[in-house]
Amino acid sequence: MSPLRSLHNALGATLAYLWSGWGAVASILLFCALWELGGRVYGDLVLPGPVATLQQLSGMFDSGQALPELIISARRALYGLGLALGIGTLLGLLAGRSMTAAMMSRPLVTLLLGMPPIAWLVLAMLWFGMGDATPVFTVFIACFPIAFAGAMQGGRTLDNKLKDVALAYRLPWRMLLTDLYLPHITSYLFPAWITALGTSWKVVVMAELLTTVDGVGAALAVSRAQLDTASSLGWIVAVLGLLLAFEYLLLEPIKRRVERWRTEPGP
Amino acid sequence: MSSIPGGLKGALRGDWPVFMCGFRPFFILTGASAVVMVLAWLLMLRGLVPAGMPGGSLLWHGHELLFGFVTAAIAGFVLTAVPEFTRTPIPSRRALVQMTLLWLAARLAYLLAGAWPALIGLWPAALLNLALWVLLLREVLPRVWNAPERRHVSFAWAIAALALLQLGFFVAAGAGGNPLAWLYLSVGMVMVLIIIATSRVSMSVVNGLVEHGHPDRQQTEEVGYLARPPRRNLAIVTILICSMTEFIFGHDVITGWTALAAAAAMLNLLNDWHIGRALFTRWALMLYASYWLIALGYALMGAAWLGAPLLPSSGRHLLMAGAMGLSIFAIMMVAGRIHAGLWLDRRPWQPITATLLVLAALLRAASGMHLFLPWMSQLQAISGLLWAGCFAAYLAMNWSALSGPRTDGQEGCAEPLAAGEEHQGGCSV
Repeated sequence: MSPLRSLHNALGATLAYLWSGWGAVASILLFCALWELGGRVYGDLVLPGPVATLQQLSGMFDSGQALPELIISARRALYGLGLALGIGTLLGLLAGRSMTAAMMSRPLVTLLLGMPPIAWLVLAMLWFGMGDATPVFTVFIACFPIAFAGAMQGGRTLDNKLKDVALAYRLPWRMLLTDLYLPHITSYLFPAWITALGTSWKVVVMAELLTTVDGVGAALAVSRAQLDTASSLGWIVAVLGLLLAFEYLLLEPIKRRVERWRTEPGP
Repeated sequence: MSSIPGGLKGALRGDWPVFMCGFRPFFILTGASAVVMVLAWLLMLRGLVPAGMPGGSLLWHGHELLFGFVTAAIAGFVLTAVPEFTRTPIPSRRALVQMTLLWLAARLAYLLAGAWPALIGLWPAALLNLALWVLLLREVLPRVWNAPERRHVSFAWAIAALALLQLGFFVAAGAGGNPLAWLYLSVGMVMVLIIIATSRVSMSVVNGLVEHGHPDRQQTEEVGYLARPPRRNLAIVTILICSMTEFIFGHDVITGWTALAAAAAMLNLLNDWHIGRALFTRWALMLYASYWLIALGYALMGAAWLGAPLLPSSGRHLLMAGAMGLSIFAIMMVAGRIHAGLWLDRRPWQPITATLLVLAALLRAASGMHLFLPWMSQLQAISGLLWAGCFAAYLAMNWSALSGPRTDGQEGCAEPLAAGEEHQGGCSV
């Protein structure tokens, strides 16, 4: 296939993917109508409608208040998430290769997953004080077991027969990695990573709310103290918007790409 | 065709080819009413023609274009398409004559309603209009109900819904309610009907099956386009929600959000259409463009209700003059030719007229934007003349196909003879 042709195909696929998002947009807009109705019923003080909220949010962006806070929160969330994904995936894969390690780590994962992030937050405040490290650590510890469990599951379910065939045919290690191991494992890793991403955003805002003086969480604490519901909703919409954009514009396309082998009919 | 005794003997006996198939009288009425009603409206707007009907000329304009022009198109379409879809005999000439006369009487009854006592008012018009729906349902309902799997029963529901909405309009007009709200609700219903009808027609149009048997066309069994139900149902549901919200809340931010949702759902429906080259035929593009116009219409109405500097009527005219006008034109160009035994019209006037029709709708939409308000009346006049001209062109170019005898020796609504096929009577599909 010529490069021009494949570029054309890729562009077409991207456009088709983006265009398929209209269904989601329709359902979000219907939700906005419901939200507006709720605002009408309960009044602006309790529940400002989407129009008021978006106006507030754009005001916060215009005044230069929103962007720095969002960047701070994003940085913390991504640090924690990056650490969790890196370490969690690596350890999970190792654990997946050994039955004993898997047996040992299962109850630990259950324990870590069952521990409420707010409890970790309390511990982190005691250990790290009121700095950057507290939210980063809380995000890390909340996301780690998710990535670990996904990677371990992917490692455990690897088809040994396929591996034997690959070894018998002396497949080069690169082919072994890209055609056998990676496609299988990523199909387990990606859903876990997406869940971890959602968790990281939620946890970082919560951690900031209680511990730091900057970031979206801290801003939320301020707007709550001032009974400023519109600003609170504005921050929430900003966080959710970033999360949606990150997931649907970055992770979902990658996921579709790596999972193509699942839907493509065999030769 | 058997001879039936009774009034208008010539018509019933079959001397008038215009009553040979359901689309013929009603597509003529569609074209003619588009021209007459819009010209009359433009003259009323300038005070050159008195508008003495109860409720004023605006109500008349909205009602007659919806329940006159559009109803004629719906009648022409379902009386031709439903027998074809359900493989049942075509409606009798007697029924077609009755419905045509009722349609004409209903138009007159509204126009002349100012001439008789206010107590009688619009009630004669209401009665005649409803009688037309009843006759139409009598033709459609048994066919779709008895068909296997009742796949086309949604046509009957849509027609019944429109009949009820029209009843609501007349009750509101007679009892001092808000008849305009019922018209707006009906616009939503008509949009739903466009989606239902287009989903049926588009499958054969986009996949090139409509000219199956054409001696000069390459036959293909390949089906690239499928009108799948999930996206269609989402679009229908959001449009119904938007219409209901508007009915309850009127000009409101909540209605604005639902209108934007309807626009997004329509754009989502276009996903089914993005199939590459097969889309680029004039017939497929007309149907595709009418979906775009629905999406844009709802987007503009939503923007207006959320506070953008334009009138909601901008968007509403994209729906009616734009989407409705274009899809009626497209369906008349396809069904009105194939069921007269003619292959599709490939002359250049047709894409030109379709483009002008879209231009007319866009000009009408522009006239409601605050930016163009100083030129509002000029824009509306140009748009109206252009729009009426398009339908006049349709009538002029298709007059013999609509009113004249068939040239292929067949009868009724039969499709053109495929290469090497023998004559056969009735609806051959």
